[in-house]
Amino acid sequence: MFSLLGGVFLGWSLGANDASNVFGTAVSSKMVKFWTAAFLASAFVIIGAVLSGQAGIETLKGLTSIDLEQAVISSVAAAITVTIMTLLGLPVSTSQAVVGSILGIGIMNNQLNLAGLGKVVACWIGTPIGAAILSVLLYYVLGKLYNRAGLNLFESDALIRILMIIAGSYGAYVLGANNVANVTAVFVGAGLISVFYAALIGGLSIALGILTFSKPVMETVGKKLVRLDPFSALIVVLALALTVHFYTLVGVPVSTSQAVVGGVLGIGIIKGVNTVSRQTLRNILLAWFLTPVVACFFSITINFIIHLHYIPYH
Amino acid sequence: MFKFLFKKEQHVQKLIFEYLDTMKLCQDSFLKALQSCLFNGALCENFDFFIKQTHKFESKADDINDEINNLMYGKALIPDSRGDILGLLGAMDEIPDLFERILYMIQTQRLIVPEFLIEDIRDLIRISLECCDLLARQATALFEKTEGIRALLNTIDTNESHCDHIERRIITKIFESDMNPLQKLQIKDLIVEMGDISDEADRVSRRINIISMKRRV
Repeated sequence: MFSLLGGVFLGWSLGANDASNVFGTAVSSKMVKFWTAAFLASAFVIIGAVLSGQAGIETLKGLTSIDLEQAVISSVAAAITVTIMTLLGLPVSTSQAVVGSILGIGIMNNQLNLAGLGKVVACWIGTPIGAAILSVLLYYVLGKLYNRAGLNLFESDALIRILMIIAGSYGAYVLGANNVANVTAVFVGAGLISVFYAALIGGLSIALGILTFSKPVMETVGKKLVRLDPFSALIVVLALALTVHFYTLVGVPVSTSQAVVGGVLGIGIIKGVNTVSRQTLRNILLAWFLTPVVACFFSITINFIIHLHYIPYH
Repeated sequence: MFKFLFKKEQHVQKLIFEYLDTMKLCQDSFLKALQSCLFNGALCENFDFFIKQTHKFESKADDINDEINNLMYGKALIPDSRGDILGLLGAMDEIPDLFERILYMIQTQRLIVPEFLIEDIRDLIRISLECCDLLARQATALFEKTEGIRALLNTIDTNESHCDHIERRIITKIFESDMNPLQKLQIKDLIVEMGDISDEADRVSRRINIISMKRRV
């Protein structure tokens, strides 16, 4: 069970970082109190992980055969990658780091499920594009309904707040369902735990990250989206949740951060303004390529170092 | 359906309507003060009483405004709406201040309006106060239902142009008259202040329209 600590750490950092994608806007703009958001997010992450996390776990588990030692190596490699990319200020995706590190193990074992890998990469490309398309559609459809409702200032304010809480909770549910595979799938592959326990432990570790360390991230990261008006911010969170939910059903862990960027881009397309700077887009593209490559490199390197043997010179 | 979740917001809404009612009372006292004296050609006994009344309602409006501010800083409403309402009430609060300032001006400078200006001033005040009534209706529309905001803005705008026209006509008459120069300047200042009522109402009305437009997707 001690071997699970690497995964739990990864889950903790995932919760601390990615909760801001679903509740960041609401918390940093003081629409929802941090603790309300944190408890809702934690509860829904666990529910999502346990009820709908199995598909993603099966996909990652199926990328290559893995033993317990390699599972620990891949967790550590992914955690190191996430830490380094965060320190470099690049928008890192835990899903890409985990897949990259599993890929490294697969290369070492000379055994890779290329079809599975192809499906994962296709979903990575589809995440921001899907979120952008969805945010455009949602903006037009829900916007029409919202305008037709003829709400006064207080009613529209109350409606946006309630929907923000519902969308945030739904976002947390899909975050747990989709990303729990990143945390504990390798340990299922290594035969250490069952799929159910992997989902439960993964969900709990993500929730721990949300409760203990997501406040500063929510308050700072969420502010990037506050420049959007409240309705657009709601659409971005909804687009994120629906996109990630779709990939959860497909069974591929994707990045909620990339889904948020896609959603914000969609709003920019509708309003004809630059909601995301070129620098941010460049960083995302760079991180998109670098994260799996760096994780793969670390995974191979750690594996290589561990298997070095001292041969005394005679 | 979810009203029980938004008690602070409901309280803010109630206070805003209370504010609008107080503004109306302040406006009525202002008009009574002008009717009792200015249009009669001399200061009368009731004038001081109506000034006190105007001041009382102006202070009450300030108190309500402060209470709304406190509720807003206590995190009622989403930040976007918070900023809009605080800005709107801040701008609206200029109008009772103007009522009070005009009355104090007449009281402290012992102003007596010459006979030949009374009809024009009566018109200026009537249309300016009509602007204030329309503004209150427009604010009610913003906080109760959303229809008619643009139409009210157009009417206020037309009235404001009319007031500007009357204001220019009065000032021209003042400087064409044989009043002494000091009196000319005093009455001109009074007319400019009176003209500011419709200008302010027009400014607030535009703000309400923007707030309403911002909420359309």
